Amino acid sequence: MAEPILSASGVTKCFGPVEVLHGVDFAVLRGEVHALVGENGAGKSTLMKILSGFHPPTSGTVRVDGRPVAFAGIGPAEALGIVLIHQEFNLAEHLTVEENIFLGRELRRGPFLDKRAMRERSRAVLAELECPVDPDRRVRDLAVSERQMVEIAKAVSRDVRVLIMDEPTAVLTGAETAVLFRLIRRLQGQGVAVVYISHKLDEVTAISDRVTVLRDGHHVATQPTAALTQDAIAQLMVGRAISDMFPPKEPPPADAPVVLEAQGIAVPGWVRDAGFDLRRGEILGFAGLVGAGRTELMEGLLGLRRASGTLRRDGRPLRVRSLDDAVEAGIAYLTEDRKGKGLLVAKRLQPNLTLLALERYGRVFVDEKREAEALEHAVGEFDIRVRSLDALVGSLSGGNQQKLLLAKTMQVEPTILIVDEPTRGIDIGTKSQIYHFLHDFARRGGSVILISSEMPEIIGLSHRVVVMRSGVVTGILEGDSVQEGEIVRYATGLKGRATQGEAA
Amino acid sequence: MTPSAMPEVARKSAAGFDLKLYGPFLALAALIVLGTIVNPVFLSPANIGNVLTRTAFIGIIAVGATFVITAGGIDLSVGSLAAFASGVMIVVMNALVGSMGAGVPVILVGVLVALGLGLAAGLVNGLLVTKGRMEAFIVTLGTMGIFRSLVTYMADGGTLSLNSGIRTVYRPVYYGGIFGVSYPILMFAAVALIGAVILYRTRFGRYCAAIGSSEDVARYSAINVDRVKLMAFVLQGICVALAVVIYVPRLGSASATTGLLWELEAIAAVIIGGTMLKGGYGRIWGTVVGAVMLTLIDNILNLTGAISVYLNGTIQGVIIIVAVLLQRGAAARR
Amino acid sequence: MKLGFGLAAAVAAGLMLAPVTASAQQKIKMGVSIPAATHGWTGGLNWHAQQAEKKLEKQYPNLDVVIVTARDVGRQANDLEDLVSVQKIDALVILPFESAPMTDPVRAVKQAGKFVTVVDRGLTDPSIQDLYVAGNNPQMGEVSGKYMKEKLGGKGNIVVLRGIPTVIDNQRVEGFQKAIEGSQIKVLGMQYANWNRDDGFKVMQDFLSRFPKIDAVWAQDDDIALGVIEAVKQAGREKEMFILGGAGMKDMIKRVMDKDVLVPADVLYPPAMIAEAMEITAKHLVEKAPIKKEYIIEATLVTPENAAKYYYPDSPF
Repeated sequence: MAEPILSASGVTKCFGPVEVLHGVDFAVLRGEVHALVGENGAGKSTLMKILSGFHPPTSGTVRVDGRPVAFAGIGPAEALGIVLIHQEFNLAEHLTVEENIFLGRELRRGPFLDKRAMRERSRAVLAELECPVDPDRRVRDLAVSERQMVEIAKAVSRDVRVLIMDEPTAVLTGAETAVLFRLIRRLQGQGVAVVYISHKLDEVTAISDRVTVLRDGHHVATQPTAALTQDAIAQLMVGRAISDMFPPKEPPPADAPVVLEAQGIAVPGWVRDAGFDLRRGEILGFAGLVGAGRTELMEGLLGLRRASGTLRRDGRPLRVRSLDDAVEAGIAYLTEDRKGKGLLVAKRLQPNLTLLALERYGRVFVDEKREAEALEHAVGEFDIRVRSLDALVGSLSGGNQQKLLLAKTMQVEPTILIVDEPTRGIDIGTKSQIYHFLHDFARRGGSVILISSEMPEIIGLSHRVVVMRSGVVTGILEGDSVQEGEIVRYATGLKGRATQGEAA
Repeated sequence: MTPSAMPEVARKSAAGFDLKLYGPFLALAALIVLGTIVNPVFLSPANIGNVLTRTAFIGIIAVGATFVITAGGIDLSVGSLAAFASGVMIVVMNALVGSMGAGVPVILVGVLVALGLGLAAGLVNGLLVTKGRMEAFIVTLGTMGIFRSLVTYMADGGTLSLNSGIRTVYRPVYYGGIFGVSYPILMFAAVALIGAVILYRTRFGRYCAAIGSSEDVARYSAINVDRVKLMAFVLQGICVALAVVIYVPRLGSASATTGLLWELEAIAAVIIGGTMLKGGYGRIWGTVVGAVMLTLIDNILNLTGAISVYLNGTIQGVIIIVAVLLQRGAAARR
Repeated sequence: MKLGFGLAAAVAAGLMLAPVTASAQQKIKMGVSIPAATHGWTGGLNWHAQQAEKKLEKQYPNLDVVIVTARDVGRQANDLEDLVSVQKIDALVILPFESAPMTDPVRAVKQAGKFVTVVDRGLTDPSIQDLYVAGNNPQMGEVSGKYMKEKLGGKGNIVVLRGIPTVIDNQRVEGFQKAIEGSQIKVLGMQYANWNRDDGFKVMQDFLSRFPKIDAVWAQDDDIALGVIEAVKQAGREKEMFILGGAGMKDMIKRVMDKDVLVPADVLYPPAMIAEAMEITAKHLVEKAPIKKEYIIEATLVTPENAAKYYYPDSPF
């Protein structure tokens, strides 16, 4: 077999007294797409950070082209062509796309920056990614998926030999994922090796040549992808048989009352004329392409954005001027941006848990004893895994942060739960937990509005599906029409209500 | 499912204690040792009493500043407001002496005027920042200029002096005390205590910290961000008024240079004490220590003839930088 | 034709006469540029300038006085430019914020042909000055020192509070130290009090902590002295010492007048000097009276005997 372009042998890593990687072997061959999977906390990110020079291993050897190396930092690693694209964006918000792409390696003409050359090259690399973003736009004005493309452009524009991508499609749409896959194939053709870390097993089976599974810091298996099914991979990840990911759908009784009714909702700039109704015990999915206006519609309903239209709760008119009004009416919102809008990452779990429902812990003085009890209860109920209850939220894995956010949202005891991309960037085990939770919530008489860009999730959980496009509801599907093809047709405008031009 | 057993001891009791938490107190202790070495009279009750009393104004104002900074804002107008409020208080009291006589009722009116002014100023600053959607730095920079020029105008560039009859009645508020502890110190302690209770124990305090930590998260947690920020500015204004109430009897006068640079001292006290300038994390007892440290440095330099007087500013700056480095260095290593 | 020519000649004659008659009615403009009223002394300065303006404009109907104030050197330089080009002054009376940086801007005014009076802080190039009116900083220090020496009988322990670290402060302190040289007066401590009442209070409080016996305090400035008085009163040590201030603030003058044991004397450094400068300049401009090049106002020692002469109860200073 050819010499691996990058490999780790017997790599162990300790943070303080805690060992997180136990003698892991891993090798990437030239021109291969090698997927790395594992639950949250399995050690994937840590291993990749060691291979890209971010951390030194505590013991074991890293080799490039067969020769042992000890990276002093990411600089030397990048100089050897090993580039890591983080799961968390490493972009400077206030700078432009082009400035970000060339950050730290600006092109010069004499003492001045060669802006023209940088702009041309940026355009070229963005064109390769079929990304229509203008290099002069500032990153803070870009949508999340566009920022991901810029990150990828940044990495690809270097002389890369091994490209490590950590959850690259978590925020991308299907179309953008396809573009990314085409790029990966092109890179492969040029002899570049790609390490692909992802929770999306369908993508893993589609794009990779080999799969390595890590579990709890141990190397479990490395196999050619063709030899494994998605289920088999999932089982290797979790170490036990996966019971059904989605609980069996139980439609709400036919006479279930309408708990929420929206008509003629408009959110300036995002939503033109939307309406739907939600019944007790129902999970109502909201599907659509990025930019369809789903999140903005919900934020408008909840008083987080300016909106107009009518809202009825249990048949009675409801005026929502601020999020507080919505919470009083028993409606709670789980935001898609868990770090930017959901949790205070610099603070501990307890103050985060109770922040939304703080009123219930005291009119003026906060009852910290009750708070501590609530935290213990929540940790148990939602299976939030932490080393210490005093930890900072920023140190939790994505899945546990999401569970904490869910616990926080449930503290106000809502009867209507609006969840936005609830399982983005989360491992299989936790995904399943969340699905079961939503299902139980609905079965006990609550109602759920589920916004998601993951088709299996929408189809697996929703009783009915509202499809939006360009700020308008193009169709509401139920029963047998809740399937991928139909949803996509309504989402892209091939079917359903027209979205252009004419008055409502 | 219960969480897996904790394999590691919680960070706080790990080897090496939390320098960020105790940094300011260590620095204070070091300064006290230094002061005693420089001149043993430093530790005499009279000197300590003087120092703590002198700290009271900046300290009380700094407690208010802790709230504003924790909520992500800043208030540069406090020194000028102190001058203005002192001036107005004096003018009003002087005007009332004729009709009401030189007694306690006049002083009470003066106190009410000062409190009213502090509250109003806080409202103005707060409303401009929240409803006006302007940067706190800019707003309070503007009000800073306005207040100071108003007091200069009132005093014709000179000094406003309190009627001597009232002065005599009012004097004990600064110079008197109980069991050898002066009233300013008592007021400082009370304000710090109440401030700590509010910041650490109440919902309002939590909301301030949440807003300073991330305004977006606060909004998405159904917190009325505007109202909380407004209250923080009002609290600051009231603190300034309280400081003025005990400041006026000291010299019985107010002029264009009263309270000059107090805002910088108050903010320095807050930062030395461990509150983060970007917001989200407030420490009242740290602020108290910070305020005391600043006055101590001044005092130590006055008690020794060893260092050239020209270098006073250098020494102060160095000590402040070292104090902050000690904290930040420890925090960065986390 | 003849009529037209005659008319034109009359008009021409009239036009030629016009400037002559106009100049007899033309106003003389005197610009006054001083520091803004930021503390006691400058407050007094501004007040005296305004009083002088009123008096002079009443006395000389064709004199127009323009007063501008500045908070720093840069702004003062701007003010000078405006006075010359916009206000079109004939003469300038200026108290420079600082000597060195203001020398060139004032030179520009001189070169524009204007009469220049400089008050208190001389320029680094004295040839620019047509008239110089000042207090005498070194003499102030000397007079203070001499008085102390006499009152203490040539020996004792004193403390000194200085102003802001500037040339003026240095001159006064040097004068003082020269005056007490050779005597057995010991300066226990010297600290900056920035001509500020609060700072005077704090510094004196610490001096009192440090030194169990102080015979006298040279506060150099009345604002500082008022702070010192409070500190001494708080410590209950009024009987132990006396305090000598400076500049002639009305509160202190009153104390001297009333024979206050704690404040037996004061030394003048009057902000009223601006009024004197303005009066002399106006006299020269309007009456073309001859003047000396320099008027140095003495640093008069104020004692209970002559205090009444220097008491201005209406001044903010």
